[in-house]
Amino acid sequence: MFHKILIANRGEIAVRIIRACKEMGIATVAVYSLADRDALHASLSDESYCIGGNKVSESYLNMSAILTIAQATGAGAIHPGYGLLSENAKFASLCEKCNIKFIGPSAEVISKMGDKDQARRIMKNADVPVIQGSDGVASNDEAFKIAKKTGFPVLIKARSGGGGKGIRRVDKETDFEKAFLIASNEAQAAFSDNAVYVEKFLHPVKHIEMQIIRDHFGNVVTLGERDCSVQRNNQKQIEESPSIFLDSKTRERMAEDAVKATKAVDYRGVGTIEFLVDKDGKYYFMEMNTRLQVEHPVSEMVTGIDIVKWQIRVAAGIPLAFSQKDVKVFGHAIECRINAENPDKNFMPSAGRVTLLHIPGGPWVRFDTALFQDYFVPPFYDSMIGKLIVHAATREEAIRKMKASLCELVIEGIDYNKDLLMDILSNSEFEDGTYTTDLVARGVR
Amino acid sequence: MIKRNQFRKPKNKLEGSVKDFSLPKISENLCCNCPSCKKIVFFEDLKNNLGVCPICSKHLRIKARERIQYIADENSFVEMFEDLKSKNILQFPDYDDKLKNAQIQSKESEGVITGVCKILGIDCCIFSMEPLFMMGSMGVIVGEKITRLFEYAQKNNMSVIGFTVSGGARMQEGMMSLMQMAKISAAVKKHGEKGLLYIAVLCDPTSGGVTASFAMSADIIAAEPDALICFAGPRVIEQTIRQKLPSGFQKAEFLLEKGFVDIIVKRTEQKKFLFNMLRLNSGGLKDDCL
Repeated sequence: MFHKILIANRGEIAVRIIRACKEMGIATVAVYSLADRDALHASLSDESYCIGGNKVSESYLNMSAILTIAQATGAGAIHPGYGLLSENAKFASLCEKCNIKFIGPSAEVISKMGDKDQARRIMKNADVPVIQGSDGVASNDEAFKIAKKTGFPVLIKARSGGGGKGIRRVDKETDFEKAFLIASNEAQAAFSDNAVYVEKFLHPVKHIEMQIIRDHFGNVVTLGERDCSVQRNNQKQIEESPSIFLDSKTRERMAEDAVKATKAVDYRGVGTIEFLVDKDGKYYFMEMNTRLQVEHPVSEMVTGIDIVKWQIRVAAGIPLAFSQKDVKVFGHAIECRINAENPDKNFMPSAGRVTLLHIPGGPWVRFDTALFQDYFVPPFYDSMIGKLIVHAATREEAIRKMKASLCELVIEGIDYNKDLLMDILSNSEFEDGTYTTDLVARGVR
Repeated sequence: MIKRNQFRKPKNKLEGSVKDFSLPKISENLCCNCPSCKKIVFFEDLKNNLGVCPICSKHLRIKARERIQYIADENSFVEMFEDLKSKNILQFPDYDDKLKNAQIQSKESEGVITGVCKILGIDCCIFSMEPLFMMGSMGVIVGEKITRLFEYAQKNNMSVIGFTVSGGARMQEGMMSLMQMAKISAAVKKHGEKGLLYIAVLCDPTSGGVTASFAMSADIIAAEPDALICFAGPRVIEQTIRQKLPSGFQKAEFLLEKGFVDIIVKRTEQKKFLFNMLRLNSGGLKDDCL
């Protein structure tokens, strides 16, 4: 087991990882930006060091500073959390070169799965269903031919894409060329790679993902699925597990395909296979996230397995202590992302001092956050400031519990999205589980 | 506000077997400090960015062969006159040792590499001066190799592209090295009289006899950003005239403003620029080249 881990992240996920390390007896090193000098993760860890200015490019993405701190403190491993450097193949490779264990898959796997087009081809070869589209990167003319063959609407997607950038939806033939150029230029600007491919645009769909964990001995286990279809601008808002939309046969097949996908790239660690599911229940591989997910707590709640601890154990070379038959999904869990933004002002991000904080409690209510009273929410980072997770025996009870817990949550001093979440939870499509990814865009109020 | 020592450390023993993980070690070959912005830069990033600092865009000095590799099409470069090597003609003290050290340090036999290559499919002659070989100083052999290259280009109706990086004439070869200025200039003139193109790319630093001869006699004089281009360097001038020089004096941008340099081209854009010039010279430029 590692003696000391450096956590190259901030906010609630850094706190979540530090907590796991404390339970495991592992010493922790936090790194923080100037704006985060009073942040909880910096106080909670055993050691903490400032690594740069307010911008993430100066601090949390400052690879040389992070590696220097790791060496100076003797941290044998780096946990990247999610976002930031978590899917950065270059950083993973630098860690390998510096004799530091990157808690995540190898640089090679990150790179393979980061190339969305390559990932798609690997999955197709592994017999995992993929969305109809081009086999590989396409030029304008080739892409147009494929789009015509596939049938409009189509999506033009950047090979190195992520975060919704470099994606263009094309509804008719005459718009294709323009959209192709825009997507290609956007991809070049955002990822320094203008290669794009074409995929059929499925609509309406559900976004359902499988949590997997695979150790270095070939043992692989799925920890159930998560329905993450409540989204706004491709950003998830509410996640739940299990998905009531899937029948048991589809769930079983999806789990089998997730295992196939994991084996196809010889994946090690925790990861997520994301699928799009159409109204007939047919599902297609969308992408693989080679890291811990924001919404991992819902899977933890229904399985009772601490995913972060197991991620660290697997990285340390410890075999999984449970097999698939030991994993029992019990009850239902829901997570709401608490974002510091104002839905009434076009989701304008909100920053400021938290003057009053009341965190909901009671049985099977969990609030993952780095907030505390008198904390100043800095304006430089992602607007997610907390995750409220509840667990109950049935979905209906979980929704009730979530509503009650949200009402109990009080954060004064900043704007946040509680009312929108309440509206979503009371929406009839959400209640009956038929909601799709366009629910928020269509309006829930 | 929560203080740094607010939370007590739980008395939990390290779980599982205590396996000794070796400590992290940052290899010396991993990164360096940019001499301009002083920030840490990974060698891999520097290489991918053609030796330009990805943070401050400083064009760092690169080896002559690397430069050719960035400019020439893959496997298209054929070296010429590589057998010519400097001798201590004047029996100048310690020159033999300096030559040996320069060869070891630069892994090159001389201060310039000459040959032919293709740039995006167009044939041309190319020379590139080696900063690690006595700061690309111009001795008899450097002069001879460049002269022969111009003569070869003239005979075969080829354009010449030259990357100059030099501290000037090689002191250890005295008058013989200064003679190279006239010799190369004559070869450049004959090449030019035949209507053939010569493009010089002035890199940091281009100074002394090199500036005073073939660097400044090209048809098109391009320069890398922030390159020092001078005859006598700024420190020498300051000490002589006892006056503070204006900021940016003798830098590529300053020379562009004064008309000594035609264009400043970033290293990452040099291949396309040179291709466009060669293409234009050989009879036309299509829209897609611009």
